[in-house]
Amino acid sequence: MQRQDFQSEIQELNLAYLMLAQQMLRNDRETAMFRLGIGNDIADLIIGLSSAKLVKMASSQVLLPRFRFDDVLLTGLLAGKGRDATSSSLHAAILATGKPVQELDR
Amino acid sequence: MKNKSVIEEAEDIQRAAEMVRLGARMQMLEAETKLSRERLLKIYKEVRGVSPPKGMLPFSTDWFITWQPNVHSSLFMGFFEFFRSSAGLKGLDAILKAYHLYLDQIEAEAMEPVLSLTRAWTLVRFFDADLLQLAPCKSCGGHFVAHAYDPTHDFVCGLCNMPSRAGKTRRATKAALADAG
Repeated sequence: MQRQDFQSEIQELNLAYLMLAQQMLRNDRETAMFRLGIGNDIADLIIGLSSAKLVKMASSQVLLPRFRFDDVLLTGLLAGKGRDATSSSLHAAILATGKPVQELDR
Repeated sequence: MKNKSVIEEAEDIQRAAEMVRLGARMQMLEAETKLSRERLLKIYKEVRGVSPPKGMLPFSTDWFITWQPNVHSSLFMGFFEFFRSSAGLKGLDAILKAYHLYLDQIEAEAMEPVLSLTRAWTLVRFFDADLLQLAPCKSCGGHFVAHAYDPTHDFVCGLCNMPSRAGKTRRATKAALADAG
């Protein structure tokens, strides 16, 4: 069987992610930070990327956006576990607001 | 107070129009902008096409504690806290952005908004006045609106411990019947 490395798919997704993130941040910085789950320093970094750097960053082997919630209850609620769909999604949203955003290590 | 700067006045008019579009009452407009009452009335009429409702704002903190409003206000306060702490926004900006996110969430679930902008604004004022606090639920860890000075060490939120009738409104039953039929 041929080995699939998903290289081009990953790069495509990375590029789309970075471009969307940049657009969102330029449009409404604070709301975008919430939606992307990133802190001030990462927001600055993404906004400051030139197109050349953005393409360079996207052509990596690994996915840049990563799974955001490392919480069993929260992921369960997001997937619709609970008494009814609307209250579990509201519950998930409330829990998600309290999760820390991603910051850069110094 | 009268505006000195024309640019500040222009910003105030923009803000006032946005607040009216989101459903703000006159009291909120008067407190959050430096525009005169006459100006605000004109803006209100221009945006909404009707005169603003008269009368006082609801002033009880109890509404925010009842089941459904509590869920919605806790969601709003979650957004608001993010904007105030992580994004470093102040006052009205944080309220408006948090309210937009709240409306987006409600829209995504195809629900009716329970919290109006004026209520959300009142909620933040109650927090500033130390009448309400955010209590961590010991079961799910989420933060929920609660009366200030209530003991919170074994607080369980209304979503972890749902009252049996919660959310079962006449409208919800009707919708379920319509889906089934």
